Amino acid sequence: MCLLRLRDVSLGYGHRPVLEHVSLEIARGEFVALLGPNGAGKTTLLRGIVGLIPVLAGALEYDLDRTTSPLGYVPQRESLDPTFPLTVFEVVLMGTYARLPALRRVGRPERALASGALDLVGLGALAGQRFASLSGGQIQRTLIARALAAQPEFLLLDEPTAGVDAEASAAIMAVLGRLNHDEGLTVLLVTHQLRLLQGLASAVFWVQDGRVTRRRVEDIGASAAAALGAPAGA
Amino acid sequence: MSTVLEVLRPGFLLRDAMVASILVGVVCPLVGVYFVLRRMIFLGVALPQLSAAGIAFAMLMHRTLIGPHLHGRTSDAMLAQLGALAFTLGGILALAALERRGREIVEARIGMVYAIAGALTILFIAADPWGEAHIVNLLKGDLLAATESSLAFLAAVLGVVVVVLLAFQKEFLLVSFDRDLAVVFGKATTTWDTVLYVLCGITISFGVLAAGPLVTFGFLLAPPLTARLITGRMLTFSIASAAIGGLTAFVGFCAAYRYDMPLGPAEVAVSSAVFLAVAGATRLRRALRLRPA
Repeated sequence: MCLLRLRDVSLGYGHRPVLEHVSLEIARGEFVALLGPNGAGKTTLLRGIVGLIPVLAGALEYDLDRTTSPLGYVPQRESLDPTFPLTVFEVVLMGTYARLPALRRVGRPERALASGALDLVGLGALAGQRFASLSGGQIQRTLIARALAAQPEFLLLDEPTAGVDAEASAAIMAVLGRLNHDEGLTVLLVTHQLRLLQGLASAVFWVQDGRVTRRRVEDIGASAAAALGAPAGA
Repeated sequence: MSTVLEVLRPGFLLRDAMVASILVGVVCPLVGVYFVLRRMIFLGVALPQLSAAGIAFAMLMHRTLIGPHLHGRTSDAMLAQLGALAFTLGGILALAALERRGREIVEARIGMVYAIAGALTILFIAADPWGEAHIVNLLKGDLLAATESSLAFLAAVLGVVVVVLLAFQKEFLLVSFDRDLAVVFGKATTTWDTVLYVLCGITISFGVLAAGPLVTFGFLLAPPLTARLITGRMLTFSIASAAIGGLTAFVGFCAAYRYDMPLGPAEVAVSSAVFLAVAGATRLRRALRLRPA
């Protein structure tokens, strides 16, 4: 069953389109990635999908009510200001705000939800630590926990392994794989690391030259892999 | 110690001034935490100056359109308050709108606002020679002139600001820390930003009229900057900022009373001294921790 459908969508900043005539479908429970060379428009597409930039033309439809079923969104970690005096737990708690109306204060259920999300990504022991003191990999896992605290059906991540060492990248992908396999979470992530998707992603959306095409991971050819700066099959 | 006991005496002559000092000292930092976290520190300089321009403008308009005003009356203070509020709110909302749409450097825009507001203040005063000296007093803020009724009004307004800040703390935190996530969650980010800016504008305009631009700016920044050095959680950051602001305002008041110093500068000096002491201690502790055993 289709969770997200884009039909002939144009996205851009202001009135200037960056991507045009994009059509794609993502089924419930799928694990898919937006893949392509730097500057191809992967992040623009993701930001358009979550509603951070306007759809200039076409139709973007979710088969869920976003007011009762919020999206789980993991931004690039550089977009967050490390000077905020926040603990890891306080950051994760923000995920629960998705379902909390104004004037409703954070209560015991929200705290339990945040704790559970932190445990799911293996960071329960770091709850009281300052968010700014974490390593790159730990920050990403904290942001995944924050997204999970929103209790989403659909998790969208913008380069969750960028600037993270190989071991931490593998840990992040293992968490995502588990969430998709065990919890049935639909996952869409932006990456340019093809090798991390093998065994996890059912398909990739190849973004290049303003066009988006659906491919199987194993069908990514040598020329495409070269565009990512990786050997084919790597 | 005797000064402290004297100041705390129930019948103390300047009790209203002391309470007004502490009120400004507690509430300005609560708003100031967002100035520091959202990196809008320059706004903390520009807005009090804009508020001062509003006071001078209101007085000038009264003289031009209605006629000479009798200084020292309640209507005088109300007029000044209206001018301060209108200019501050107009300025902060215009700057916020430009921040989202504009392409120029934000600091440059705020710097220009400061320069224009400073120039306008002087021009408005110069155009109203009738009440020049009195307006200058209003612009400097006159904590010592606080009366029971003006204090009650200040307490009521700043009380509402604190209640709204506490009630919507999670919304203000979310739009300040991760605006994108707030949008993804479907929150009304523009509304929350506007509410926060309005609270800032109200606090600043009332702070300027009660204590002057210097004290308002000092308390918007120094206590949150101090608290940031010693706290690692958002809630304790806000509480510590307000506590440091209130305490340094009280100590500054006592020092000004004991040594017969101007009140506002004494309070800012104490607040800044505490910041420098805490910053020095923090650096020293870090250096000692880094030193090999």
